[in-house]
Formats: sequence, C-alpha cells, structure tokens
Amino acid sequence: MTVDYIVQGALNATDPLAVGLMILGILLGILMGSIPGMTATMTIAVLLSFTFTMDPANGMMLLLGIYGGAVYAGSIPAILIRTPGTPSAAATIFDGYPLSQRGEAGRAIRVATIASFVGGFISVLALMFFSPVIADAALNFRSPEFFALAVFGLTIIASVSGDSVTKGMVSGLLGMLVATVGIDPITGYHRFTFDLPALLTGVEFIAVMIGLFGIAEGLRKYGQGIKTDRERVDQDVSGALPSLSDLRAILPVSAGGGILGSLIGSIPGAGGDIAAFITYNEATRWIKDAVPSFGDGNIRGVAAAESGNNASTGGALIPTLTLGIPGDSVSAILIGALLVHDVNPGPGLYQDEPELLYTIFVGFLLIYVFILVFGLLGANYWARLINIPKQFLWPVILLLCVIGAIALRGNLFDAWIMLGSGVLGYAMRLRGYPLAPMVLGLILAPIAEENLRRSLELSNGSPDIFLTSPIALIILLLSVGTILLPAVRALRE
Amino acid sequence: MVKQRIADTVDRVSVGMLLSHPLSVGFILLSLVVIYAASNFPNDSLFGPSFFPILTSVGIIVFAAADMLNGGETELEMSDIDVRPPTVVLGLLVAYVLAIPILGFWVGSMLFLGVLLYYSGIRSPLLLVGLSLGVPTLLFYVFGRIFLVRLPEAIIPVSRLLPQLPLVVGV
Repeated sequence: MTVDYIVQGALNATDPLAVGLMILGILLGILMGSIPGMTATMTIAVLLSFTFTMDPANGMMLLLGIYGGAVYAGSIPAILIRTPGTPSAAATIFDGYPLSQRGEAGRAIRVATIASFVGGFISVLALMFFSPVIADAALNFRSPEFFALAVFGLTIIASVSGDSVTKGMVSGLLGMLVATVGIDPITGYHRFTFDLPALLTGVEFIAVMIGLFGIAEGLRKYGQGIKTDRERVDQDVSGALPSLSDLRAILPVSAGGGILGSLIGSIPGAGGDIAAFITYNEATRWIKDAVPSFGDGNIRGVAAAESGNNASTGGALIPTLTLGIPGDSVSAILIGALLVHDVNPGPGLYQDEPELLYTIFVGFLLIYVFILVFGLLGANYWARLINIPKQFLWPVILLLCVIGAIALRGNLFDAWIMLGSGVLGYAMRLRGYPLAPMVLGLILAPIAEENLRRSLELSNGSPDIFLTSPIALIILLLSVGTILLPAVRALRE
Repeated sequence: MVKQRIADTVDRVSVGMLLSHPLSVGFILLSLVVIYAASNFPNDSLFGPSFFPILTSVGIIVFAAADMLNGGETELEMSDIDVRPPTVVLGLLVAYVLAIPILGFWVGSMLFLGVLLYYSGIRSPLLLVGLSLGVPTLLFYVFGRIFLVRLPEAIIPVSRLLPQLPLVVGV
C-alpha cells in the first residue's frame, strides 16, 4: 500500500508543472537566502499568495523549494562575508569564514552544498518513514492528549525562540487571544467581531503572518538604514565538484548531522539554528583529531552545521503533518498554506490525503537533489547575489505583502489586518519579543480551546481528565517543566 | 530567601517601571478589556465562549507582569534605532492601501513603488520608471489574469485597457 502511494507521489512530483514550481521555488529560495536578512520564513510568508489558486501539491512544491533553497543558501554569505543569510546558517560561520579567508570559499561552498543535500535528504527519508508511524499512534489521541500537545508546543517554542520565556509566552498567548476572534467553535457565539462580516470567520492568520514576518521585518530594515546596508563579494568560487578526499572527510559527519538534525528539527520550536549549533557542537566533541582544528577552517565543521540545519527542514514537518503542531515558524506558514485548501494537518491527514502526503515527501526529496545540482553548478552565480542592493528588494517585498493580503479573500480588510500586525510585530521586535510563538499561538489556539473545553465538558469540569491520561499527564508535566526550569534557574542566580 | 525576593520585586513597582515597559502595560490593559468584554458573553456553562479568552488573557497578565518585574533585560537599546524611516514607510503603506479603492491596484501600486524606491535611495530615472511600471504590471498579470484573483479596480478602471493574455494558464 505504501509503495503504491510512493509510486503515485513520484508520478505527481515529476509532473512537469510540479518540477517547474520546485525549480522556481529553489531559485527564489537561493536568491533570498543568499541575501543577509531575508529569512526563509519571510520569503515564504510573502510569496504564499502565489499558491492560493494552485493545486495544494503544486503549491507545496513551490513553498518547499523556497524553504530548502533558502536554508541551503544561507550558508553562502555566512562563508563569504561572515554574515549568515538566514539565522540557521550562523554556525556555518565558525569554519566557513576562515576557509574563505584562506581563499578556499569555493571549496567551503561545495562542502556546504553536499552536506545540505545529505542532511536534507536524510531528514525527508525520516519524515517519509517515521511520520506515518507517529500519525498512526496519534489516531488514538483524544481531547486531553491534543490539548496537552497544544500546550506543549506553545511552551517549548516560547522557551527556545528568544532570550526570555516570559516574553515568548506573552507572544504565544497573544496569538491565542487573536485566534479567539470570530464564531465560537462550540456554541456559535460571535466573539469580538464588532458586527464586521469579515471577522466572522476570524482574523485571517495568513494576513497576520505576512504582517509579522514581511511588514515588521521591512520596517525594521528601514529603521536600521537600508541605504547603507550593502555588501560586496568579488571572490572567485568557480569549480563544480569537491575532491574525493573532501568527500570522504565530510560524508560521515554529514550523515550524523542529518540524523541528529532531523531529531532536533522534529522538536516543536527547535529550528535550523538550534539544530546547526548542536550538530556542530557534537562534531567538535566526537572528532578529536581535527586538522585544522574546528573554528580554524575545518571542512567537517561546515559539513556538520549545514547538514544539521538542512536536516531540520524535514524534521520540522514531522510534528507539523502528523500532529498539526508546527515544528518551526516556516512549518506554521505551511500549515496555513494547507488550510487555505481545506487540508487539515494532523493524524487524519494520513488517512484522508495519503497521495498528497507522498507527493510532498517525494517532491521534497527531489528538491534536495535539485539543490545539490544547482548548488554545485551555480555557486559562482549565487555568491554574486549578495551584491544585489537591498534598496530594490524591500520596496518590492512590501508591495508583495500588500498583494498577498488582498489575494487571500479579494478584500482590503485583510490588508489592514496585515498592516496592523506588521506594526505590532515591529514594536514587539524592538522590545525583544519573539514573533514565532505568536504564529504558533494563532495555529494552536483552535486545537487547544476545542480540546480543553471538550475535555472539561466530558469530565463535568474536573481537571482529573488530564491526570488520568498518562500521555496527557506526561506532556503537561513537560510543559510545566519547560516554563518553570528557567524561572527556578533565575531565582537561584 | 524567596519571600525576600518577592518583597524586593514588589518594591520595584513604580510609575517609571510601567513607563519603561509600554508593551507589557499595553498587553495587560488589553487583557483587562478582553476579560471585561468576555464576561458579558452569554454563558450556559462554565466552559462557554468566554472561558478561553479569559483564560488566555489571565495568562498574558501573569507573564507580562512577570516580565516587567524581571526587568526585561532583553529589550533592545532604543536609541540605536531611527524610527523616522519606518514611520515614513508605514505612512506610505497606509496611503497606498487607502488609495487602492480610488486608484485601483495597478495604478496605486505603480505610484507606491515609485515613491518607495525613490525614498529608498534609487535615483536612476530608468530604474525608477522601469521598476514602477514593470513590477505592478507583471504582478497584475500574474495575479489578475493567471491566478484569476479579483484585484481592486480604480473608480475609472484603467487596468482594463491592458491587453489580455493570449492564453489563460491555470496551475
């Protein structure tokens, strides 16, 4: 049965239109990922509107292409100018930049390309073969378990995405509060709709995401001084293939980074940056005889970081698709992209839409193959993308934000929601609030509310229902620990 | 020790502290308004439509207050940030969205992009005109004619003068 789905998924993913969209997505991802400050999250949020009228599988091919392309390309400026293109490439600087200083930038980029491919490919294989098992187990989950999972997702992302757990929790809860606008899912009562028909179905959370990640980031960039924000790269990084000795040195590290990165990526909230730092750290612990030493331009350091961050992409899709809990902010937007097409991520997806799922799996594998080919053949061109002046990009991005919001439902109300979210997001960024928990809160609120109220109705208001389910109890205890641990540590200090 | 710490923390509450945490104060006030509004919802049971908004608001109050009392050391140094450019860009965005029902998406976008590109430091007339005309026209065709998204039209719908695509491509 699974083989049939894989074959069908392969047929769908190799459709010329799907392949074209993958390639377009990868090129867009590489373009944006190569330019420091243009994150994968922002790129996907801004370009999401292009997928609204597409078939869901085709739309996902475009978005996953952007995702993989941007995470890979973040390594290019990290190696060349010591500035990560995306946050997940921060650990690549440690060894990538010293290699570049020695005139070996081309070698470092080729190593990063191979490692990105290995890490990404392993993570998609993990997604393909483990996620059905998790989804199968999750089919037995009832309201208490789903409520506990929603709480766990929120607390863990609040604790890892930012310097302050309290700010993360405020951000996440604010997202949950915004999600309560609209018709109450159980009684049908109109909450905070102010008699506006556009609010009956709630605040369009894609408009909020575009505002938070597109407008807020744009305002921040203008605040930092867009006219002076320019880098220059003139290094020659031509050449296509790494040497055999380099391959022999990096493949085991990349495979290890791929496995570890997939595991870390599958933890909600632990995105590519955390995965890369942990895999890099593990590589430095395991490889004792590194010459040159880590931090002085060792290609295995580049391979560890790049395999780790790319492996987090497939890993992040595991909780996203199996439980409906986003693994990171990009997968939160991908949930939005699926919901636009009435496709609900969660364990039911594996029963209702197996063909779509396997198209996504096989398509994502193909995307990493394309990244390998384009990365090796085009490194010299991608390196030049860093030179693009941002004065051209930001005005176009802001225009795309507005059209993206309008394209949602064809009305201007969502554009106002997006602008409002952008201003809020900008203010929150200035005051050190992370935005990823807010997006997660928006997505998790319906799951949390419906399952909490249903559980309490079932138990006549007794919270014992959460204590009698071992899975719910364990997950809730983990959530409490996630919040309390930093507080206890702070009190001790 | 914990008691002493709590007492010290309460002592730190002052008008100055509230003013230095405008967002936390704003979130707490918003939550209080939400609690007030939600408490007027019709509730047949304890877990009616007001339950979750109130629960979430209480959570915001607790964590925002804890953040204020913690000192919020993670806040950025505001003096490093020039708020004038973001304010100008936001003003342009607001003007653009307000102008769309009058000028339509196509013309409104051309004007917005031209002004923003100029404000962003682009001075080459060729680039200014080329990008301001080209990008909105391309987006108009992609969204309006290929994706068939209903884009806002002007009072005088000049965008209808644009030539039709020879073939409508569906994806």
